This record gives sequence, C-alpha cells and structure tokens, in this order.
Amino acid sequence: MVNTLTRARPAAAGRGRSRRDRARRSRTDRGYLVFLIPGLLLFLAVIVVPLLMNIGISFTRWQGIGTPEWIGLENYDRLLHDANFWTSFRNIIFIILAMAVLPTLLGLFLAAVLFDYVAKRIGPRTASVFRSGLYLPQVLPVAVTGIVWGWILHPGYGALNQILDRIGLGSLAHNWLGDPKYALWSVMAVMVWFQLGYPIVMFMSGLQRVDPELYEAADLDGAGWWQRFTRIAVHLIKPEIYVVLVTTTIAALKIFGQIFVLTRGGPGNSTLVPSYFAYQNFFEKANAGYGSAIATVLTVIIVALTYVFLRLQTRDERRDGS
Amino acid sequence: MNRSSKTGATRKTGAVATALVAVAALGLSACGADADDSGDGKSLRLWHFEGANSAMGLAWAEAIKQFEASHPGVKVTYEEKGFEQIRQNAGMILNSDQGPDILEYNKGNASAGLLSKQGLLTDLTAEAGKRGWDKAISPSVATTSKYDQAGIMGGDKWYGVPNYGEYVMVYYNQDLFDKYQLKVPTTLAEFESVMDTFVQNKVTPLSVGGAEYPAQQIFYELALSKANRSFVDDYQLYKNKVNFTGPELTYGANTFADWVRKGYLGKDSAGIKAEDMGVAFSQGKYPILISGSWWFGRFSDEIKNFKWGTFLFPGNTLQPGSGGNLWVVPTSSKNKQLAYDFIDITMKPEIQNLLGNSGGVPLAADPAAISNPKAKELIENFNKLNSSDGLAFYPDWPAPGYYDVLVAGMQNLINGSKKPEQVLDEIAKPYNDNLASIGK
Amino acid sequence: MASTVKQSRRPGWLTRPVVLVVLTAFTLLVLAPFLVVALNAFKTPAEYASNGPLSLPGGLHLQGIVDFWYRVDFGEKLWNSFLISASVAVLAIVISVLNAYAIGIGRLRGRLAFLMFFLLANLLPQEALVYPLYYLSKLVGLYNTRLAVIIILTAIQAAFGTYLLSSVFRDFPRQLLEAAALDGAGKWRVLWRVVVPTNWPTLSVLFTFFFIWTWNEFFLPLIFLISNDNQTVPVALGVLQGDRMMDATTTSASALLGIVPAVLFFLIFQRTLTRGVMAGAVK
Repeated sequence: MVNTLTRARPAAAGRGRSRRDRARRSRTDRGYLVFLIPGLLLFLAVIVVPLLMNIGISFTRWQGIGTPEWIGLENYDRLLHDANFWTSFRNIIFIILAMAVLPTLLGLFLAAVLFDYVAKRIGPRTASVFRSGLYLPQVLPVAVTGIVWGWILHPGYGALNQILDRIGLGSLAHNWLGDPKYALWSVMAVMVWFQLGYPIVMFMSGLQRVDPELYEAADLDGAGWWQRFTRIAVHLIKPEIYVVLVTTTIAALKIFGQIFVLTRGGPGNSTLVPSYFAYQNFFEKANAGYGSAIATVLTVIIVALTYVFLRLQTRDERRDGS
Repeated sequence: MNRSSKTGATRKTGAVATALVAVAALGLSACGADADDSGDGKSLRLWHFEGANSAMGLAWAEAIKQFEASHPGVKVTYEEKGFEQIRQNAGMILNSDQGPDILEYNKGNASAGLLSKQGLLTDLTAEAGKRGWDKAISPSVATTSKYDQAGIMGGDKWYGVPNYGEYVMVYYNQDLFDKYQLKVPTTLAEFESVMDTFVQNKVTPLSVGGAEYPAQQIFYELALSKANRSFVDDYQLYKNKVNFTGPELTYGANTFADWVRKGYLGKDSAGIKAEDMGVAFSQGKYPILISGSWWFGRFSDEIKNFKWGTFLFPGNTLQPGSGGNLWVVPTSSKNKQLAYDFIDITMKPEIQNLLGNSGGVPLAADPAAISNPKAKELIENFNKLNSSDGLAFYPDWPAPGYYDVLVAGMQNLINGSKKPEQVLDEIAKPYNDNLASIGK
Repeated sequence: MASTVKQSRRPGWLTRPVVLVVLTAFTLLVLAPFLVVALNAFKTPAEYASNGPLSLPGGLHLQGIVDFWYRVDFGEKLWNSFLISASVAVLAIVISVLNAYAIGIGRLRGRLAFLMFFLLANLLPQEALVYPLYYLSKLVGLYNTRLAVIIILTAIQAAFGTYLLSSVFRDFPRQLLEAAALDGAGKWRVLWRVVVPTNWPTLSVLFTFFFIWTWNEFFLPLIFLISNDNQTVPVALGVLQGDRMMDATTTSASALLGIVPAVLFFLIFQRTLTRGVMAGAVK
C-alpha cells in the first residue's frame, strides 16, 4: 500500500493542468477502490435494487399487494395522455424557481452582506445570530409548516390579509391558497421562506475560505464593495454555488411534503406536482403500477438534469484548476 | 486561522464524535431486539385513531376496561395511531406479521373494501350471526360493513362492525337566527330565504371549507334533494350507470353555483380547511354550517358565547351519512377470538350509552339512558334517518382518489373558474374510468 | 479576525443602522411563524375556538403540552428520534468520507459515473422506493425496526455527503498527502490521520445537516415504524390529525415540543457552521 502510494505521486505537486491530467489518466490508483466497497454495497441494496423493482412495477397493473399483472407500456401510454401529468410538470418549473433559483440569488446577496458587512463592521456574533435566525425555517417539521402557513394565509382571519387591511392595502388581500390564480405563487413564497437559510449557511462558510489579502488588494485597486463581491467572492465560492443549485433543484423536483400539507395539489390541481401525483396513485388510488410509471419518468428527468449540472461543474473545475 | 485553537477544537470534536459512534452502535444493537409478543391468548393488540376525549375514545377506553375485567389474565395493548398512518399504510401493515389483532379502519370501497378484496381482513359473517351483530345493526348502516368479492360495499359478507353512525346536518347559531327573527326552515325554499335574509344584512350565511370535504357534501345534499334511493344505489353501488348530466347532479352543481353567486357562501371559502370552517362557526362569525355529526361533541365543549342547535337539511329524505368506522380483524391477527369478544363488548348497552352521552351517535343505545337533550335529538334524528332508509353515504366513496377530484371540482365552482356543466364533465370522467377498471 | 480587516475609506455612518434595521426586520419576518406556534401552544382550546389562532393567549396554559407529552409518551419518541438521527448522521458521514476519499482523492477513473451512481439515492423520489423497500425489509426481517430506517436514511444522506465531500477532497492539497506518504503512512492511515482531521469543520457541518434532516424526516419513518414504541417525533405529531378532526391547540403544543429539540440541537452546533463547509483546505 505504502509503495503504491509513493509510486503513484510525483514528488513535487504539479499545478500545471496537463501534468495533473496525465497523472490522473495514467496512474489511476486501484487501491482506492477498496474504500468504495461499503458504499457500493449499501447503495446496491437500498437504492439500485428498489429502483429496478420500481421500473419493473411500472410495467404492471398492481394494487401494492397480491400478484402484479404485466401490461407492458400501458401505464406510460396513459401518462402521455394524462393532462394532470403535464400540469404537474408545468408547476414544477415554478417550484424550481422558488426553491433553487431565488434562494440562491437572495442567499448570495444576504451571505455577502452578513459576511462582508455585518461581521466586519458590526461584529461576527451579530452576523451569526442573523444566520441562525434565517436558517431556522429549515428546522421546522414540515407538518407544522403547513399548519402555520395555513393560519397566516387564511383568507378570513389570516395575519397577512389583516395586515394588508390595516395598512390600507385591503384591495391586495387575496385568498392566497384557495384561489388558483394565487395558490402557486403563495406556495412559491413559502418555499423561498423555507429554503433561504440553506444557501446562506453554505455560502457564508464558503466565504471563509476567501483570502483576506485578495480583498485588500481589490480595495487598493479602488474596487467598490459590489465589484469586490461579484469579482472575487462569487468566483471563489463557485463550488458551493454548484452544490446549492444541484441539491435545491433536486429537492424542488422531488417536492412532496410542503405541497401535501399546504394545498394537496389544489385548488383544482393548480399546485399539483409530480411527486404528489405519484403519491395519489400509490396510496390513495391503490394504483402502484401507474404510480411507479410516474416515479420512473420523474427519476429519469432528475437524473438527466443532474448529469448536465455535474458535467458543467466538472468542466468548470477543470478550467479553474489550471 | 489560529493553529493551536484549531487542534483544541479538533480534539473536542473528536471526543464528541467518539461518543456519537458509541450511541450509534448502541442504537444498532438495540434495534434488532424488537419484541414479538404474539398469539398466546394473553394479549390483545388494539389500534384506533380516535382522540382520547372524543365520544369513541371515551367509550372504547371503557370497553377495554370491561374486556380486561371479563378476561382475567389478558392484557389489552392499545396503541393510538395517526389517521394518516393507518390510511396510507394499512395494506402494508396487515400484509406483514407486525399488525395488530384488531383495529379501527375506514369504511368504504377504497378502504375496507380494498383490504377485504386483497384477503387481508377476516370474514366476520359467522360471528355477526352468532353474536347478533347483524340484528343490532340496521341494513342501511350495515351496507358499509359488508363487501362482495370485488370489494364493493353492500355485498354479502361482513368484514367490519361499526359502533356508531354519522350523518350530515345543519348546525345553526340560534342567537343570530333570533336577531333577524328567523325560524328553523322546513323546506329548501325556506332555507334559501333564511340565507337571503342574512345576505341582505351583509352576513355570509354559510361557513364552508372548500379545500376539504365540506363543499362536496353540500353539493351532494343538493343533488340528493332531487334523488331517490335508486340514484344512490346506482351512484354508490354501481347498480346502473349514472348519468352525470341527469337531473340530480345537474341540479346539485347548478344550485351550488347559484348559492355562490347569491353570496350564501364566501368566494374565498375555496381555500378554507374543515378545521377553520368549524372554528369560524364556533366563533360566531357565520350563522350556519352544513357538516357532519362528528362536530357535535366539539361544538358542545367549545361554543360558550351563543346558543346553537341543529336540524336536518330541509326537505331531504336522503342525507349524506353512514355507519361509522369499522372494527376489523386482520387475517394476520393472532388472537381472533379475543378480538370478537372485544367487538361484542363495544356493542353492549353500557358502552353504547356512554358513546351517546359523550356526543356520539350510537347504533344500539337505549334512548332513555341518554341524559343530554341535545344529544338525544342528535340520536333521534339519526334513528329517524336510519329507519326510513335515508343514509346516502358520501359523494367521494365510489372511486379511489375521488375525494381529490371532487375537492377540485367544488373549488372550481366556488371560484367561478368553471361552469357547472364543465365541472360535471370533469367529475364524470374519473368515475367512469373507475367503473371500467373494476369491470362494471 | 475582524481586527485585521482594514476599515473602508468611505464613511457610510448611515449605512450601519439602516442595514441593521432592515436585516432585523427581515429576520423577524422569517421567524414570525415560530411565534405563531408558540402563541397557540399556550392557549386553551376554548380560547382558540373563540378568538382564532392569531390572538394573544389569556395566560400560560401548559395543559396542552403536558397532555400531549403523556398521550404519546414523548420521552420515548425523543429517544427514538435522537437514536435514529445520531446513528444516521454518524454512519452517513463514515460512508461519505470513504466514498469521497476514493472519488475525490483517489481520483478514480469515471468519477462522474460514480458520483451519479451515489447521487441516485438523493435523486429518486421517495415514493418510488416505498413498495420495493417494504418487501425487501420484510424479506430480511427488518420491517418495523428502527434499523431499517437507519440503513435507508444513511444511504440517502450519504449521497449528499459523497457529492459534497468529493468536491472538497478534490481540492485537498497534494503536498500533505505526499508528505504523509513519505513518512510511510498507508492509505488507511492517511485518511484517518490527515484527511479526516483537516476536514473536521466540513464534517461537523455535514453532521448538523444530516442530524436535522433525519430528525424532520416524515415519510419513511411513517411507513417503516408502525409500532408506537419505535416511532419518531414527526410521526407522533401525526396522531393529532384525525379523520375529520384536528385539534389546533394541541397541534401547536406538539409542534412546539417537536421544534424545541431540533432548535436546541441547531443552536448547540451552529458555531460549527461558522468554520465552513469547505474550509478543509489549509492555506
């Protein structure tokens, strides 16, 4: 083991891209494969086998118990002609906006303000209090989230409408979760609230890596706060930005709990999402075959999107590595 | 970063991590040893999902006490379950060896019917005859206890036994009725004129939860006002094909839309949950609420600021309602005899009277033993319906997942985003799809 | 650390209070729902029924909280949740570190393929796993055990950990590895003596995330833990939602009980978040 390791690495670490690449390509170290065994076994049992079973079920008519009946591609054919299925995918685009794009942008800005301004001018403790406060929604159990937001957005006694009334904007009061025109937007707002803390925590910790000397150099060059932020900080915490974007997009595509507790896909399917649609078929309609087909399609889409993300990230890392 | 403080922190984190690994190891070893206490005739594992203070909760706690008294040496292991957990997982639980010996379960084709068809429930026909349950429970209530081979209710075999009934009625705020000198209506026209009076006085008459079951029950009430028993049999038991553009459902949808237009119910009620609907009524914000007997006990406890009463939906001979949730005995039950004995105790007069006095609607109570006059009225109304074959079940029962379809349809009517004909088309399709899938 | 930063040349005396006020207002807004929960947890059901959820409670009504505690044997649920969350967090970190060591530092061929493979656990919608995992767990006798939930959630959390750590480990300074190798350390020792210690900050952030995520997990525990004595806190909250009834004050009381442990845990560990997710690299 010791010998292979020493043999595998040139004495001086080459920073040059070509040298690093060559090292990787020609001397891939098989000794490291051992470390993958526990993970591979676990994932084989918990993920791969169930995934294959799920794909198998998607070709059957099955109530979840008893013997499945093979029906070939019938479930998929039905899926293509199911208006609810397409609605759910239209809605999920908005959810991605609310769970991935907006929290990332807002999170970047807030993380920069907290790290760069509040921590340095007011004190790191203050900054960490704010960060904790903004992260707390992530800690709230989903079931509770649903109840509380139901109260706040209630068209009658809800806090939001009452406040709007009191400040003379009563005309803006709406039936937030009950009107198909606003339900999706309301759900999106709740999702931003829920999701915001995660990017802030990730980005603030990433910003710690930024060498203060770089900032001082930029200061000397007369760069303003905003320029410093966009040119140095955003560039240097790119890994975190990728991680946040990938994980939040995946979470958005899989969103289930919040929809379940807030609207159950209503009113009139205006907030229906694929996971809840699959759930309805699995558990409410005892239609496990169709549910599996929906879940399979969803999985394929998520895997494809993630692959694209990861390719972009890898390419970016290689470019930066030079 | 300061090196020395960092290594200090590292050491501390290391200690914490070691402790946590120890916890994890402990957890792993503790997990494997889940006790498996099974069929020795010494214990009865019982699950239900009714709150301890509800009529059923109180009555069943007493039944457990009596059971233990009459079965010395047998312990009842009761677990309170979440409704959602049972609803979602019953099939999986009963298909394993981890299920209970007896449990409360939802009635209807998509619930008890599905499980009976999958062979997960014990056929109770012989016991029902032997112990006289089939006499104590009237035929219209028993519809939801008996299923056929395809799992459709109204069949020939008993798979569950209800202890109580439920039905939809009208709750009203007597103080507000008095304020506008209104009398309890006896016809649908009178009912509408009562609501007109409220609207003229800028009061929205109906508290409605459009995000959940209440709206569809109003729609169903309206349809039933034009319907007879054979419509109910067609719609619920698939005796004949239902015409969704026929007079009953058309009247239901059109009148519901009318009621929205006339302001009987708020335009914003589409997003309201049932819980909020009930709370708004008990705060006195709305004079009328159309919903089930399951609110009765709670309103009795919580309404302090005004007088209230109930009446049956005016003019209807058919009302949404049915037998309550069922006691079922899983095929995998290890103590079936004990489970039958327990069901028998729940049907005894003491338990049934307790249920009635706690705000429930018992099936086999002695009316003379019910002390609270309001509760007496509640039970008498049910008995009236029951003896005139007036229970019409609930609109979402005919197909699995139909609940969501109806919620969506009613929300569209409340919001005015779809016309009644469009909504009827929309709710016809899943209904007919289901017929096709069960081969009717 | 703050003292080393040079003061900016621009004065901006007004900026400071403005930023502070705006941030405080925003944070309070974000926290408002927690206040609503606390408000209702201390109300009597009658108060809630007559004044609605947004009124102030008339006094400290602790009965709801006490009742709920005994009703579901909350102490036992806390222990189950803690056991499962802590086990999952530790095990998932171990698996993630091993995976990431091979992928990130070992630079295996087909890194992307391996990453995608492990990420699958995170990508699959959970509903898709339910029926297969139900039958598999019955097959090996783990249905209705906490161990089943621990194993499944370990895989799901480790997917994120593998992904994040692989990317962190990629930037791990090669000099350190090579120095250790020259000292005669094998791969196993390099991992535990060099890589893991330098990455403690990242690992502790992961621990916090995993713990909280597992703590709040609802769907899988609901399906795999059917006996009450195995259940976790979020599943226990579910007993309050009846067929057609929900008791809002008890729900709030239970919500408060459900939030408090997670918030406490977060506050204890939140200082680890300061040290950074990817702060592993030594300058």
